[in-house]
Amino acid sequence: MFRHLKKAAFGAAALLAATAVVSGAQAQSYPEKPVTLIIPYGAGGASDLAGRALAETARPYLGDQPVVVVNQPGNSGMTGARVVSESDADGYTLLLSRVGMALYPAVYADSPVGWDAYSFLGILEVTPMILAVNADSDIKSVDDLLTKIRENQGRMTYAASGPTAIDGFTVQALLSDAGLDPLSAATLIPYEGGGQLASAVLGGHVDFLAIASASLMPHIEAGKMRALMVYAPKRMPNLPDVPTAKELGYELAGQVSGWSGFYGPKNLPADVRAKWTEVLGKVAVDEQWLSLAEKRGAVSVIGEDEPNAYVESQFKLYNDMAKKFGYIQ
Amino acid sequence: MWTDLLYAFDAVATLPNFLAMAAGIWAGVIIGAIPGMTGTMAVTLALPFTFYMPPVTSILLLVALYKGSTYGGSISAILIKTPGTASAACTVLDGYPLAQQGKGGKALNMALVSSCIGDFISNISLFFLALPLALFALRVGPPEYFMLMAFSLTIVASISGKSLLLGIVSGCLGLLLATVGEDMYGSFRFAVSEDMKNGLGVVPVLIGLFALPELIRLVVFRPEDTSIAMKLGDNRLTLSEFRHSLKSILRGSVIGVILGAIPGIGPSTAAFFSYSEARRTSKTPEKFGEGELEGIAAAESANNGCCGATMIPLLALGIPGDVITGVMLGAFMIHGMTPGPMLFQNNLGDVYALFIGILFSSVFLFFAGKMTAGAFSKISRIPQHLLLPCILILCVFGIYSIGSSSFDVAVLLVMGVVGFGMMLLNIPAAPFLIAFIIGPMFEDNMRRSLAISRGDLGVFFQSWISWGFFLLTVLFVALTIRREWQKWRTKSRTTA
Repeated sequence: MFRHLKKAAFGAAALLAATAVVSGAQAQSYPEKPVTLIIPYGAGGASDLAGRALAETARPYLGDQPVVVVNQPGNSGMTGARVVSESDADGYTLLLSRVGMALYPAVYADSPVGWDAYSFLGILEVTPMILAVNADSDIKSVDDLLTKIRENQGRMTYAASGPTAIDGFTVQALLSDAGLDPLSAATLIPYEGGGQLASAVLGGHVDFLAIASASLMPHIEAGKMRALMVYAPKRMPNLPDVPTAKELGYELAGQVSGWSGFYGPKNLPADVRAKWTEVLGKVAVDEQWLSLAEKRGAVSVIGEDEPNAYVESQFKLYNDMAKKFGYIQ
Repeated sequence: MWTDLLYAFDAVATLPNFLAMAAGIWAGVIIGAIPGMTGTMAVTLALPFTFYMPPVTSILLLVALYKGSTYGGSISAILIKTPGTASAACTVLDGYPLAQQGKGGKALNMALVSSCIGDFISNISLFFLALPLALFALRVGPPEYFMLMAFSLTIVASISGKSLLLGIVSGCLGLLLATVGEDMYGSFRFAVSEDMKNGLGVVPVLIGLFALPELIRLVVFRPEDTSIAMKLGDNRLTLSEFRHSLKSILRGSVIGVILGAIPGIGPSTAAFFSYSEARRTSKTPEKFGEGELEGIAAAESANNGCCGATMIPLLALGIPGDVITGVMLGAFMIHGMTPGPMLFQNNLGDVYALFIGILFSSVFLFFAGKMTAGAFSKISRIPQHLLLPCILILCVFGIYSIGSSSFDVAVLLVMGVVGFGMMLLNIPAAPFLIAFIIGPMFEDNMRRSLAISRGDLGVFFQSWISWGFFLLTVLFVALTIRREWQKWRTKSRTTA
């Protein structure tokens, strides 16, 4: 028995020594080992699919080093974000970020991670959000909806993940643009996750919602829900008749939309940054990446925006909204 | 329709599909049996592989992993009192006492047979009742959900063991612990550290509460018989035992199907629900918790009965009810198929192929379960003082691997100490757990209902579904009070 134990201990020591040697000989040509991509939300959602698509597409351009996807959900995505921002800046732990990484610090002064506590490697895609009602409802347009909200004085209900989540801000921005009180003109009913949110409208338990298109498109295509407005820079190709918020002249709502970014910890080495600039350039025109993006209802925007400026403008947008709505002073 | 079915049969009966299902079920059983490793993890890990498979094969693989892990959890629940997944927590109540009596093999067989039957009934209802059940599930809004959860809380009375009072205490502690973390409007409760903002995970709490107290007891009291392994005598399940439990199995399967079809409820609640019903209708309710085969049958048929049914809202409406079906939704989308009513129009062939494949999976589950349980039952021969430290290591690693979070490990260990304290005070652990699982759903749906109605309590009595659950709750509470009163009267008579 003790002999075996000794052997095992020896083996473990040898293994430790081996890993020490490997990690000692660092980054001559990045990447030398698999890269971990942390997704700060649960598996199966829009961010997860985006992260996995990136991992699959990037692999051949990284000298066949795999990108290992790890889901680390919790605290509106800030748990995973914190892990990446606090990890070693060696380029082996990266983050698939979402609009939440700019929104959360914009609303909470005590956010565990600031909006700029990262190195920004790129903005990957824009994911439209849709304002929708149950198909049985007599609301046919945004104007109908706003009239009804005015008539009912706060009794109209909408589903959202929470008041300060992006799908709560979509509605509040619209209410604010329409000259209504964003917090009391309609009642927010919190639900968790795209499936529950959609079923609240499908089952007639709440009146309307404005959430990510991926969760709503199946129901709109099946004729169970009616799309009133799209939160995106352009109209969606599969909803050519539905106007965007910008077209309808809504100032704040016109700027709201979902997006995915690609971050690393602060002070990434230059060779890591250079490598990913090169890889993302190739991913941007990759057939697989583009077709997967289309399937999830996203528009790839790799390389179109300067990431630093984009994230900063997003932070400012939501920070101003949070002040206007009265979440912060 | 029949030609469609025949085509679908032809499409599904291929070697890759069968291999994917067999491999999925087997891997699922093993992963489910390892404490801390859950079906969610198995399905998430397998997701990237499915990118390269045909759509039907990839969904069959994920479904197989889900079913396998739901059964697999019962193996460790019975043999080492460590539910591998939350859905097997209820199986511990009677499974472990049976294993201690040397009837571990019998318990494993009962769990397998009832799992397979529950699974099969669930698959059949997926095939024939998908649309009506999905429409029923949509009608369950916040008020109906709240009433259902209120009724589920009365389960505490059935799983309290000897003292109802201690059971209620335990349930209240569970409800209290469930409030830790972020509430639905985004404010934080009892969030002492950054990690606590997320609340406490179900799996660390569950394993800490059930598995660790046994280990601590061994260290603290140093009983002398620890080097003796459990006896392995009675392994076979007799026909009469099976017949005796058949009613509970069938009822458990139906409970599993209905609760499984409602998004968000999940197999652990269904298992406790079914267990409570079996105990209530049993002629010998006092045997439950001491090693009653029928208890295992009720719990296991209900949790596997959920498996097929959770696919109903996913396929018929495109609404994932839990994390696992959420991952499956992702897998469907990757292959350009969007679950929901359109799926039945655009991809009817694939849907039929999927249904037929899923029907076969119950058979695979039986054989994979049989082989694996046989191998695992040898664990009972390992002396306790060697086995328990190994379990501790497995638990710690398993819990860490779920979210790579050392906070989860801390929760596990603290809950172990709490569980040991409860063991010393004779407070049952099961009510704590069920209240902990139900608590958030109970609270969220109450607050949602009242937000919708702007504080008007009438919202809870607006549909026949709410009324139904309300009356059931009242009836169950009345029956419990009557039972307790009779118990008290006979006791005072014997002492007088």
